[in-house]
Amino acid sequence: MPIIETRDLKKVFRSIKREPGIGGALSTLFSRTYEEKIAVENVNLSLDAGEVIGYIGPNGAGKSTTIKMLTGILVPSSGTIRVAGIVPHERRRENAHNIGVVFGQRSQLYWDLPLRESFELLRAIYGVPRDRYLQNLKHFSDILDLERFMATPVRQLSLGERMRGDFAAAMLHDPKIVYLDEPTIGLDVVAKEAIRGFISEVNRDRGTTVILTTHDLADVERLSRRIVLIDKGTVIYNGSLERLRTEYGTHRTLVVNLSEPYPEFAIEGAELESREQTTVRLRFDRAKMSAEALIRRVTERYSITDVSIIEPDIESIVRRIYLEGYHQPTPAATSLT
Amino acid sequence: MSLARRSFRLAPYVEFAKKAIAREATYRFEVFTAIGSFVVRVYLLRMVWIALYSRNAAPSELPLHAIITYSTVALLMGLVLDIDQTRILHDKLHDGSIATDFMKPISVPLYLFSDGTGEVLFHAALIVPSLILALFLVHVDVPSAGVLLAFFVSFLLGYLVGFFINFILNCIAFWTLEIHAAQLILTWVTDLLGGQIIPLVLFPLAFQKFIFALPFAAMFSTPLLIYVGIIKPARYLEVMGLQVMWLAILAVIATFIWRAGAKRVIVQGG
Repeated sequence: MPIIETRDLKKVFRSIKREPGIGGALSTLFSRTYEEKIAVENVNLSLDAGEVIGYIGPNGAGKSTTIKMLTGILVPSSGTIRVAGIVPHERRRENAHNIGVVFGQRSQLYWDLPLRESFELLRAIYGVPRDRYLQNLKHFSDILDLERFMATPVRQLSLGERMRGDFAAAMLHDPKIVYLDEPTIGLDVVAKEAIRGFISEVNRDRGTTVILTTHDLADVERLSRRIVLIDKGTVIYNGSLERLRTEYGTHRTLVVNLSEPYPEFAIEGAELESREQTTVRLRFDRAKMSAEALIRRVTERYSITDVSIIEPDIESIVRRIYLEGYHQPTPAATSLT
Repeated sequence: MSLARRSFRLAPYVEFAKKAIAREATYRFEVFTAIGSFVVRVYLLRMVWIALYSRNAAPSELPLHAIITYSTVALLMGLVLDIDQTRILHDKLHDGSIATDFMKPISVPLYLFSDGTGEVLFHAALIVPSLILALFLVHVDVPSAGVLLAFFVSFLLGYLVGFFINFILNCIAFWTLEIHAAQLILTWVTDLLGGQIIPLVLFPLAFQKFIFALPFAAMFSTPLLIYVGIIKPARYLEVMGLQVMWLAILAVIATFIWRAGAKRVIVQGG
């Protein structure tokens, strides 16, 4: 049985429609017309315990709205949600015991107090038994290297240190599920890696279920096997990273270094992506032409010094889907796991 | 889900209050300025009342020593009552961090109350050093133990009335995000009609009936008039009854406005 399940989840926000100009501003004081905006629609998610999914979408796609509904602080307009057997917004406090939340842009730590004091407070809030608390704290402190700044007021911590503190804070009560909303935003490479290592360890050792929203696809590639792509409020892809890569990464790029600049350079069966002096980039469809055939075709006509092939990365695939929309190549791909 | 999890636990709220005390203690400069400005105001009000009383006939029920006692005790109470202990709600609505609190297994209004009480308790501790400093400048009458006890009970009721007034005001931020204007108006009204600066018994009689019935009088005026003995023990039940009535009315209003505001956040997404 899945630990998180949503059915036809929909959230509509109602806002006052504002007319432009001063006249419009005054008229909204007296008569109000409302307009409705669909934030998310037809969101069907199903996660098994211990799964990590990447929840990906451009700004305003509906990621945070979905997370808020899963935490129980936003009531869906229609559709159903079950998180660990509970309807979150009906039993908000009970649901809160099952979940941990980390927002990259917002801290749950006490700004004016040393980090340790925030942990003590969370221990009281969740009623974590003292021995369990100390055990968790020791464990997280070892992985995240918290000891150095445990006594420092949170406002004096660097972003990377604060985020590590926030991760420990979210995990102190052994939640079954954690929601991570852009947890690596603004972090340097070292801090990102520390955070990713922590998520992956927690998932492996404790079987914690993780929903990760991020703009940094490296997070997803490192941590999850499955991604859910959401755009304009609806899920446009739900499946494995590999499948997306093979279905969508149909085009590869051949980079050719020519021994002399050929102004008339052209190859049929491949599209000239760019050229800078003697370096040309050729985009080609892997289904229509093999790399070997293309290289042969190039070398038959031009003298070259070097070639290399660039495989499509997930980031460029996702960028393309945002721009062009997702076209299911086969009907099988539409089934939602 | 075990039953233990659903039952009420006091521990988090005690901890919220403790953390609020610790937080306030980190602002040492605030502490010194609060005490400093208190001492200055005690001295200024003493000068004002001496000047006024030397040119006018003193009201029989409030001789000079009584009015100086009144204004000094009023300023001491102000160390506690002038704090907007639910300001944090406005801040949280403003920056959206209220969402994080709703994700915790706690009652959010109770959390705000505990946090505010911790803040107030810290400032209440400042009363002692402030009083000692004030005694170098002014003489403060001390009433009998019974009157003192009634004063403290009435003061506590006044604090709770003040808490709900502040809470309701900060709840307005659910809709407007900003409450500066409303807050300014409230400060003016409490300064004038609460009896902190000018005892309400000095107002024209016709006006007194009206202002004594307002909740602002329940904050400062009632405990102060008990302290200086203008309200006699025979009327204690009546005046504290009025305080309790306001407390109940404000608590009901606060409950409704909080529910409406929280619903707005969880249905409309803030």
